[in-house]
Amino acid sequence: MAALSTARCLFRSYSRVKNVQKSKQILMKCSVRTFCSETQDNAPTDNAKPSFSDPAVQDVLTRITGLDLQKVFRPIKQELKPPAYQLMTDKQLEEAVDLATEQAKKLLQMPPVLPERKPINDVLCEDKMLDGMDTAKYVFTDITYNIPHRERFIVVRQPNGTLRKASWEERDRLIQVYFPKSGRKITAPLIFEEKNLKLVYSQDRHEDVLDLCLVQFEPDSSEYIKVHAATYENLDKHGKYDLLRSTRHFGGLTWYLVNARRVDGLIVDMLKRELFQDAVSLVSLFHMVHPHSESAQEAASQQATGIDLLKIYAQKESQRSGYIELALQAYEQTAAEGSAA
Amino acid sequence: MNVTGTSSRDNFFMFCQQRFPVRTCAALSPFEHPSRLYCKTASLQDNAAAQAKETLQRYKDRPWDYLGSEEYIEKYGTNPVWAGYRRNHKGGIPPQKTRKTCIRGDKICGNPCPICRDPNIIIHHQNVKLLQQFISPHTGMVFDPTQTGVCMKQQKMLNQAINTARDHGLLPFQIPYVEFSGEDYSNSHDAVGSTPPPPCLTTSDTWYTWYREITPDDNEVAKVKTTYKAFLK
Repeated sequence: MAALSTARCLFRSYSRVKNVQKSKQILMKCSVRTFCSETQDNAPTDNAKPSFSDPAVQDVLTRITGLDLQKVFRPIKQELKPPAYQLMTDKQLEEAVDLATEQAKKLLQMPPVLPERKPINDVLCEDKMLDGMDTAKYVFTDITYNIPHRERFIVVRQPNGTLRKASWEERDRLIQVYFPKSGRKITAPLIFEEKNLKLVYSQDRHEDVLDLCLVQFEPDSSEYIKVHAATYENLDKHGKYDLLRSTRHFGGLTWYLVNARRVDGLIVDMLKRELFQDAVSLVSLFHMVHPHSESAQEAASQQATGIDLLKIYAQKESQRSGYIELALQAYEQTAAEGSAA
Repeated sequence: MNVTGTSSRDNFFMFCQQRFPVRTCAALSPFEHPSRLYCKTASLQDNAAAQAKETLQRYKDRPWDYLGSEEYIEKYGTNPVWAGYRRNHKGGIPPQKTRKTCIRGDKICGNPCPICRDPNIIIHHQNVKLLQQFISPHTGMVFDPTQTGVCMKQQKMLNQAINTARDHGLLPFQIPYVEFSGEDYSNSHDAVGSTPPPPCLTTSDTWYTWYREITPDDNEVAKVKTTYKAFLK
C-alpha cells in the first residue's frame, strides 16, 4: 500500500517537475490521435490520409452497412417471458418503428479501428538491495474505483529488484481480475486458435467470432487485429460478405479491404445484389483513401459521379472488370426500359 | 443366484428388444433366456462383463459415432436420450436434486439415469449432438437435472463438457453486447504511455542517499557497543 502511494506520489511529483516535457509529449501525440472525433480541428487535407473516425468516412460506411431491422432485431436465445401485446394506431406504429430504427443505429455503432499499441517497457527503479529477496514477482495495482482503466497504475517488482510498469497483457489480465467484465475471460478462449477458427468459419459463424473478439480483447491489442484480419481474409476469399451486412462489423471489413486495395469481390457482390448506390459510395470511399491511384485521378479530372465512377474504376483498377461492365450495361438497359415505359 | 450387477442394464436391453423384436444381433441372445441353471450363471457373468467391456471400448475414441449408428436410432429414434425416463421417488413432488451417482464402483443402482443406463453414451466436448440434447433450443440454457433425470455426477460432467465445447467454438451461444463510446484510446496517460526514466537510472546513482554503502561513524559505533556490552559476544 505504502509502495503504491509512493509510486503515485513519485509520478505526481515527476509530472510537476517534467511539466514541459509532458506537455511536449501531449502536443506530439495530439496529431497521432485516431479516435477523438470531437477534438479533431484540422479537416482531412490532401496530404493527410483519412482515418476510420473521420465523419465523411463514417457516413459512407454507415450507408453501405445498411439497416435491416429484421436482421438487427432477430430473436436471440434468452430467458423466455410471456409475450406482451399492444394495440396501436398507424401513427403509433410509425413512431415505434422510428424508435426501433434509432435503437438499431445505436446497436450498429462500429467498434474502433486503431493501430497496434506500443509495448510498455518502462523501468521505474532498480533496487539492487532487494535482489534475491523473494522468488516471485509482486504486482501492485491501483484499485481506485473512479478512474478509467487506461489511467490505472500497475507496476511489477521483479525478484532481481527492478520496479517496472506492467506490460499490456499483464494489465489486461489484472484489470479483469479486479474489475471483471461480463463475458471476458482471464485466459483467451480456445476458439481463437487456428483449427477452431477454421471450424467456425466453415459453419459461417464469422459474426460470432468477431463479437467474441470484441468482448475479450482491447481494440488496439495485437490479438484483436490478428483475429479481425483473419476473419476478413476468410470472408473475402469465400465471398461471404452478406453475413456481415447490417451488423456492426461491416464497416471494419470495408475499411480493411479498401486499405488493402482488394475491393473487387465486394463490388461484384454488391452488383449481384443490385446495390448500385452502395457500389458507387464504395468507389468514392476508395478514391478518398487512395487519391493518387489512376482511377481516382481519372475520376477527379472528369468530375465523374454515379455509374461513371464505377465504369472508370472497372477500366483502371479492377481485375474483374468484365463482370462489372456487364452488370453496369444490364443496369443501364433496365433503367432505360423503366424510363421509356 | 441372479446376476445382480447388470440387472438394470439387462432390463433396459430387454425393454428395447420389446419395442423392436427383430434383433439380429447374436451377441445379445444370452439375455433372452435368463438361465436359472447354476452352472451357466458363471459363464453368463463372464459374457456380460466381456460384452460391456467391448461396447465401452468400441466408442471410447470416437463417442460421436454412436449417435449416428443404427443401434442408437433403434433405441431412441429422434427423441433425446432422456425422453421417457421417469425418476422413482416418494410422493408427488420429486426431490430438488437427483441422486448423487448411479454407478458406485462396479455396482449400478436400480433405474439408472439416461446417461448411466447406456454405456455407449459418453460425455465428451466434441460429442456435440449429445450435448445439444441437453440444451434448450429456445432459451439456450442447460436443462435442469430434475427435468432430464440425470444423476448429479453426470450433470457436473455435462456442464464441464458444454463449457469446453463453447470455449472451442463447437456450440453456439449468445454473446453480450459491448459498448465502445466514450473511451479514450490515445494512451497518452503516464500509466500506459512512455515516461522518461528517473535520473538515477541514467547516472547509475541510487534513488535515496541512504541506499548507498554507508560507513558508520566510529565514535557512534563505540558508544553503541559500550551501552550494549553485556549483550555482545
